[in-house]
Amino acid sequence: MTTRTASRPIGALMSDTALNMPTINMAVPMPGFPAHREFVLVRLNEDGLLYAFTSVDDPGLRFLVAPPEPFFPDYAPEIENEVFAALNTKDPDRLLVMVVITAGVNETTANLLAPIIVDRDSRRAVQVVLAGSDMPVRAVMRRAF
Amino acid sequence: MLVLTRRAGESVMIGDDVVVTVLETRGDVVRIGINAPRSVQVHREEVYQELQAANREAASPDDDAVRAVTELLRPAPAEPPA
Repeated sequence: MTTRTASRPIGALMSDTALNMPTINMAVPMPGFPAHREFVLVRLNEDGLLYAFTSVDDPGLRFLVAPPEPFFPDYAPEIENEVFAALNTKDPDRLLVMVVITAGVNETTANLLAPIIVDRDSRRAVQVVLAGSDMPVRAVMRRAF
Repeated sequence: MLVLTRRAGESVMIGDDVVVTVLETRGDVVRIGINAPRSVQVHREEVYQELQAANREAASPDDDAVRAVTELLRPAPAEPPA
């Protein structure tokens, strides 16, 4: 059984709390980075198109992330019930989707196979592998608008 | 590597919380069921390796790379009239 996520602007996540730098807690660490559990989202672009998902333990570790909608308007990851369970939530409207960007001088790609899903309320997140889909790990990014 | 032999319907426990069950075997294909707590992610190994590699490649881009992405986000120039 799967549920679609609703798209939500990431800006809403940043303004939802009174803390200055609200942290996001990885319910499961990102593959390859088991020691990093707490991250903050640092806005890099005025329009909310680009953020640095930065490790609290080691700010030298950061991932460029973006909301997928402006670049991949047809991207609609189906989120399995197990993900809802891992994030302790039941409401797809409370989830944000971000994709990890691999920046290159020649080409910039987004990982559509494994988006990071964040629950706005608990601020828990998990990088979900869309198993069984044929989503690319490296989808070339172009502005779709 | 610990090697065990199981028949369809038999299981292996990993730690206290993970149960791996051989559901059926058909020719050279084995269907495996995994019961694990929600904090443990279970993946096909090759998918996990690819994801790990992709994350490592994406981690901590240098300034040139960040600049390239920022360029991508600049507003497109206005279209000339047709």
